[in-house]
Amino acid sequence: MFSRLKQWFSGTENSKREGKGSAMATQNDDRLKNNKVGPVLRSGDMADAAVDAAEIDNPGKEISVEDMRAYLRISTDGELILKRETMEECLGRPFEMKELEVDLSSFAGQIDINTDRARFYLNTAL
Amino acid sequence: MTLLKREDWYDLTRATNWTPKYVSEDELFPEEMSGARGIPMEKWETYDEPYKVTYPEYVSTQREKDAGAYSVKAALERSRFLDNADPGWISTMQAHYGAIALAEYAASTAEARMCRFSKAPGNRNMATFGMLDEVRHGQAQLYFPHSYTRRNRQWDWAHKALHTNEWGAIAARHFFDDMMMTRDAIGVSIMLTFAFETGFTNMQFLGLAADAAEVGDHTFASLISSIQTDESRHAQQGGPALKILIENGKKKDAQQMVDVAFWRAWKLFSVLTGPIMDYYTPLEGRKLSFKEFMLEWIVAQFERQILDLGLDRPWYWDEFMRALDETHHGMHLGVWYWRPTVWWNPSAGVTPEERDWLEEKYPGWNDTWGQCWDVIIDNLKNGKPELTGPETLPVVCNMSNIPIVGTPGNGWNVKDYQLEHEGRLYHFGSEPDRWCFQVDPERYKGHLNFIDRFLAGHVQPPDLMGGLKYMGLAPGEMGDDAHNYEWMSKYAKAAS
Repeated sequence: MFSRLKQWFSGTENSKREGKGSAMATQNDDRLKNNKVGPVLRSGDMADAAVDAAEIDNPGKEISVEDMRAYLRISTDGELILKRETMEECLGRPFEMKELEVDLSSFAGQIDINTDRARFYLNTAL
Repeated sequence: MTLLKREDWYDLTRATNWTPKYVSEDELFPEEMSGARGIPMEKWETYDEPYKVTYPEYVSTQREKDAGAYSVKAALERSRFLDNADPGWISTMQAHYGAIALAEYAASTAEARMCRFSKAPGNRNMATFGMLDEVRHGQAQLYFPHSYTRRNRQWDWAHKALHTNEWGAIAARHFFDDMMMTRDAIGVSIMLTFAFETGFTNMQFLGLAADAAEVGDHTFASLISSIQTDESRHAQQGGPALKILIENGKKKDAQQMVDVAFWRAWKLFSVLTGPIMDYYTPLEGRKLSFKEFMLEWIVAQFERQILDLGLDRPWYWDEFMRALDETHHGMHLGVWYWRPTVWWNPSAGVTPEERDWLEEKYPGWNDTWGQCWDVIIDNLKNGKPELTGPETLPVVCNMSNIPIVGTPGNGWNVKDYQLEHEGRLYHFGSEPDRWCFQVDPERYKGHLNFIDRFLAGHVQPPDLMGGLKYMGLAPGEMGDDAHNYEWMSKYAKAAS
């Protein structure tokens, strides 16, 4: 029953495993070199409002939006701010910052959130 | 009435540390439960959680989240999505619920450990909510599949799987027990909330939600993306703990905890999330490949955050980067081949069109894994299905508890990484798996994986049927090809 097990025990103990993936590994690694920060929101009114608010609250910065159907990834480099007042304007209804959590599934960078604004940021730049 | 802003009173009210009079600090916070690592109380009191919530806020927000997820379920119940869903997608959900639902429930115990034993008041406060979150996740992910149990018994494994000795359940349980059930409060904050929840849960709860929305399963997409909004809050408990460890000379400890948890999570996801994203999800529903989601969530987002918090890349980073193109293909081949031993029906996912997609996403696929599938396809074509099922047992890793795999075919590099410890020979699927054992052999040395148990005589009779019985898999539960081999018609036509 275990005759086939032998074929698994090939390879010498200290050799480094290699494969065709070695060249691709370098390409994979390139993805780490980024300074993107920002919220990942479940698709819906709040996500749409956050896209508009991100443009208004981060003047002069290029805001990128990736629409993954179930969620939107909103990002820019280094720091991204969303203000409560701007969200209110963009939603056209009263808005408390804590409501963001209902759709905030994830975020890039670190988060700092209070009653007036949410801030996504990185301390270091690569 | 004017209310104070939360930030004007929160810090004062949540700092509930007082000086104990009737017991010593060590009795109140035993080291084996608290894990303060010699760092004094006043340092832990500087813990500043970045994502602050009060109890009234928590209750109103959670109510809104549940109202959303449950109303989507109710509204779509009549759409009969499941009646028409691709069998591969059904398998995706069955694998997900079985591996995840009870682990979520168990996670509330881990949160409770921080809630009671962490020396950081902010950690205790956030963990109170985390504990309630995980109860919500356990309940929702049992309630949703429960309504499908009348369809077949495999749905029942949402509740059953982690109570059995099915090999995947052993692997999941060993991982979760290690990360969250057997660590002190600070260990839980680093290994569970930081390394696992900030990183890998995004793969299963957002990456998969993107696929779910593509295939039209809005109930599942809504549920799991809603669950992830809890995670994104309570996962923030690890960051401030990391900061305190680093500031107090414990960076090496912190780095090791992150590196062990990261590698172990990767291996579990290579067998759970990899196959469902690249093989089970119908082709038209694949938003990105597993590797592309890994690059988005784990490399670009999570690992970048690790660097920002002052830790380094794991020492095995190059091996991890390389394995992104390899491991989950081997896991999928193994799961399909040993399909009676899982509680869902694995989708082969290798029609000519799907192979084109695999070749595009993973150049060289046809020359490696494709060669194994060619043999399987030939055997099915030649009326020898018995040759496409398990005859022997795989070698299983003593860390990940899943098979040892590598690249087959023209890229052959399969290798067993061995270690002799106190007279027992252990087998590992990679150098990092072996390293996880070596840094803490006392923790792991007694455990028996499925193959160890088989060889020790726990599985009787010692054959496939005995194995299935040991794993708790009865007819109607054990897996077979998701599409009942109908995909083979594309090859039969090509041949004729």
